[in-house]
Amino acid sequence: MSAAIRTEGLSKRFGETVALDGLDLTVEPGEVYGYLGPNGAGKTTTIRLLLGLLRPTAGRAALFGVDAWREPVAAHRRLAYVSAEPNLWPGLTGLETLEFLARVGGNVDTAYRDTLVERFQLDASMKLRALSHGNRQKVQLIAAFAARAELLVLDEPTGGLDPLMEIAFRETVLEAKERGQTVFLSSHILTEVEALCDRVGILRAGRLVDQGTLADLRHLHAQTVEVTFDGDVPDLPRLPGVSVVATGASSLRFEVIGGVGPLIAALAAHPVTSLTSRGPTLEEIFLHHYEDEGRRAAG
Amino acid sequence: MRPANAVARRAFADSRVRTISFAILFAVAALLQATAYRSGYPTLLDRQRFARSVGDNPATKLLYGEPHDLLSVGGYVSWRVGGSLAIFAGLWGLLGAVRALRAEEDAGRAERVLVGVVGRRAVFLAQLAAIGAGAVVLWLATFAALVAGRISVSGSAYLALAIVSSIPVFAGIGALASQVAPTKRLATALSAGVLAIAFILRAIADTSSAGWLRWASPLGWGEELHPFAGPDPIVLVLPAVASALLLLAAGRLFLYRDVGTGLLPLRDSAAPRLALLRSPTGLAFRIERGVLVAWLLGVGAFGFLMGILSDAVTPDVLSEEVRRQLEKLGSGSVVTPAGWLGFAFVFVVLAVSLFCCTQVSSARFEESEQRLETLFALPVARHAWLAGRILLAAVSAAVIALGAGAITWVGAATRGAGVSLAELLAAGANVLPVALLFLALGMLAFGLGTAPALLAVGIAGQAIGRRWQRAVATAAPLVMVFNAGLLVILAFRGVGVDL
Repeated sequence: MSAAIRTEGLSKRFGETVALDGLDLTVEPGEVYGYLGPNGAGKTTTIRLLLGLLRPTAGRAALFGVDAWREPVAAHRRLAYVSAEPNLWPGLTGLETLEFLARVGGNVDTAYRDTLVERFQLDASMKLRALSHGNRQKVQLIAAFAARAELLVLDEPTGGLDPLMEIAFRETVLEAKERGQTVFLSSHILTEVEALCDRVGILRAGRLVDQGTLADLRHLHAQTVEVTFDGDVPDLPRLPGVSVVATGASSLRFEVIGGVGPLIAALAAHPVTSLTSRGPTLEEIFLHHYEDEGRRAAG
Repeated sequence: MRPANAVARRAFADSRVRTISFAILFAVAALLQATAYRSGYPTLLDRQRFARSVGDNPATKLLYGEPHDLLSVGGYVSWRVGGSLAIFAGLWGLLGAVRALRAEEDAGRAERVLVGVVGRRAVFLAQLAAIGAGAVVLWLATFAALVAGRISVSGSAYLALAIVSSIPVFAGIGALASQVAPTKRLATALSAGVLAIAFILRAIADTSSAGWLRWASPLGWGEELHPFAGPDPIVLVLPAVASALLLLAAGRLFLYRDVGTGLLPLRDSAAPRLALLRSPTGLAFRIERGVLVAWLLGVGAFGFLMGILSDAVTPDVLSEEVRRQLEKLGSGSVVTPAGWLGFAFVFVVLAVSLFCCTQVSSARFEESEQRLETLFALPVARHAWLAGRILLAAVSAAVIALGAGAITWVGAATRGAGVSLAELLAAGANVLPVALLFLALGMLAFGLGTAPALLAVGIAGQAIGRRWQRAVATAAPLVMVFNAGLLVILAFRGVGVDL
C-alpha cells in the first residue's frame, strides 16, 4: 500500500527565495503527523505543494501514490483540507457553504456533519460575513471532517477557536484516527501536537531538521534530572553527556544526553533524598532547534 | 460534472448584481432611444434632415461610431446605442473575467475550490460558462427591449448580438490579464487599458480617413456587423476567433502556473518609504496615485486627440440646427476650434465624474475590507477620514481636469488652432462643478451604505437627469455618466461585498 504522503526532494523557490529545500517526508496511512516550524519555515508552502496548488521547482509529492501536481483531482478525491485562513464566501450561510464545499469536494457524510455542527456549536443559518474568525474556521473544520476523507490536511486549523472548541477539535481528530484516517497537522500549538500526533517533523528555513515519534525525539534530546541531597551538594566527577544546569544549596539539576546509568552510578555513593527525571517537552525540543537558528542568525 | 456545475452556479450567482445592473442599463438605453427617435423624428423629412446634420459630425461619430442608416428606427438605435453599449458589454466581460479568475484567487477562495474534486480545466470552463450565461442575460435584456421598442424581431436579435459580441473578446482579455497580473487591481487596470485602446482605435477610425483601423479594434467589429444596413454576419468570425485564442492562452497559463501568483512577479519586499504615511489621507493618496496617473493619461489622450481634431470641423459639416443645439451649451460656435473643444469637454466632464465615482468605490472598499476598523480604533475621527478622502478625490479630479486642459492645448497647438492655454485650463476648471456633484452623490450613497439606498439615489439621479435633459439638449452624456458611475459603484461592491 502506498504512503498517504510521500515527498522526494520536494523543493520550491519563489524567485531568489528558497521556501522549501529538498523535503523527504513519508506519512503512513492511519498516522497522525505533526508538522512544526516557526513562522515562515515553509509549512504552508509544503501544504500548497501537497495540494497541487504550487508546482514543485524540483522533486515530487505524491498522495496515496498519486502525483499531487499532475493528477490533483484524483489526489483530492482522497483528501480534505482546512486552511489557516477561513477564506470563504461572505454572502453564503454556514449551511450553504457546507453544501457547496460538499458538492465541490465530492463526498460528505451528512449524518456525521450534523453531529459536528452540534459539537462545534455552529449556527449554520448565519451568513459567513457575520461570523467571527473562529466561527468561520469551524465551518471549514466541519466540512473537512464530514468529508470522511482518507487524508486530512490541516494547516494551523485551530486558530481562533476557544478552549472548549479546541477540546471538540481534539476529540474529532481522535475519532478520525480511530477510523483509520490519516491526519497531517501543521500547528503552532505544541500541546495540541503532543496530545494528538504519533510522529512529528520539525521544519526550519525550508529544511526538515528533526523527525520521529515523540519517544524518539525525547530520547535524542536531553532529559532533565533533578537530585536533592541530605546536606550540602557533593563534588561529582565530570561525566560525558551530563551537564549541570542549575545548582541549589542542596540540589542539582542535570541535563543528560544518552543514558542516565553513569550519573546514577556516580550518585550512588552520596546521600540522595530524592531524584526526579523527565524527558524534554515538545516545546523544549522545538525551542532547541529554534534557538539554534536564532543563534546562527545572530552570529 | 456535479462539482464543476456547482462552481459555475456559484460564479453566476456571485455576478448577479453586476449582471442585473448592466441588463437594466442595456434595456433602458435601447428602449429609450427607439421611442425617443420615433417621437422626435416622426417623418422621413425630419429624419433626412437629422441624418444630414448629425451623420458626419466627428463628435458624435467619436462617441457612437459611424452611422450607416439614420432613416430607420433600427438603424438609428444601432448607431446611437450599439457602439456605446458594446463598450459597456466589453467592460462587463472583463470585470466578470477578472473577478472569476483573479479576484477569487486574491481572496484565497479559488484554492478552496481547487482542493475539491474538480480540476483546473473544469474550474476554468465553469467560470467561462457562468460568464456565458450572464452574456445570454444581457443579450436577452437588449433583445427584449429592442422588440418592445417596435424594432423587427430578427433585426433586434442581430443588433443585440452585435452588442454582446464584444463580451467574449474582453472576457478573454480579462482572463489573460488575470493570468499575467498577480493582483486583481493590476489585472483590471491592464484589461481596462486594452478596452481604452480599443475605443481610441475605433474613434480614430470613425473620425478620420483611416477607416481600416476599425478592423484592428474589437469595438470596431461590432460596427462592421452593419446591423440594419446590409448585415455582414461573417464578421462574427473575428470576435469568435479572437476570443477563442485569448481564452485558450489564458486557459493554458491557468493550468500551469502556481495558484496565487501571476506571470508578472509581485515585489514582496521593499525598502521603507515613509513619505506618505503621516496620515490616513496620505496613505490613501499613496494607494490611489497609480489610479490617478492612469486616469490622467487616459483623459489626457482623449484631450490630445480632440485637440488634433479641433481644426477639422468646418461649417459645412454641421447643419444650422445642430449648431444651434450645440451652441445652447454655451460653448459658442462648434465650428471654430474653441467651440469644438468646448463641446469635447462635455466628455471630459463625463470621465472626471466617473473618476469621482471610482474614488467613492475605493473608500467603500476600504470599509468592506475592514481596514477602516483598524484606522478607527486609532485616534482617527470618522469625519476627518471622510473629509480626507473627499479632499483627495476632489484634488485628484482637479488635477485630471486641468491636466486634460493642458494636454488638449498641446494637441491643439500642433495644429495651430489658436486656442490659448488659459482658455483650455478654464475649460478644465469648468468640468469640476459637475464632477464634484457626482462625488457628493456618490458619497451620499456611500453614507447610506445599503444597496436599496444606492438604488434610491440612482432613481433620484435619473429623475433629475431627465428634467435636466429636457432643459439642456446635450445633458444626455451626464445622465450616461450617472448610470456608469452607479454601475462602477455596484461593480466594486460586487467585488468587495456580496449584496
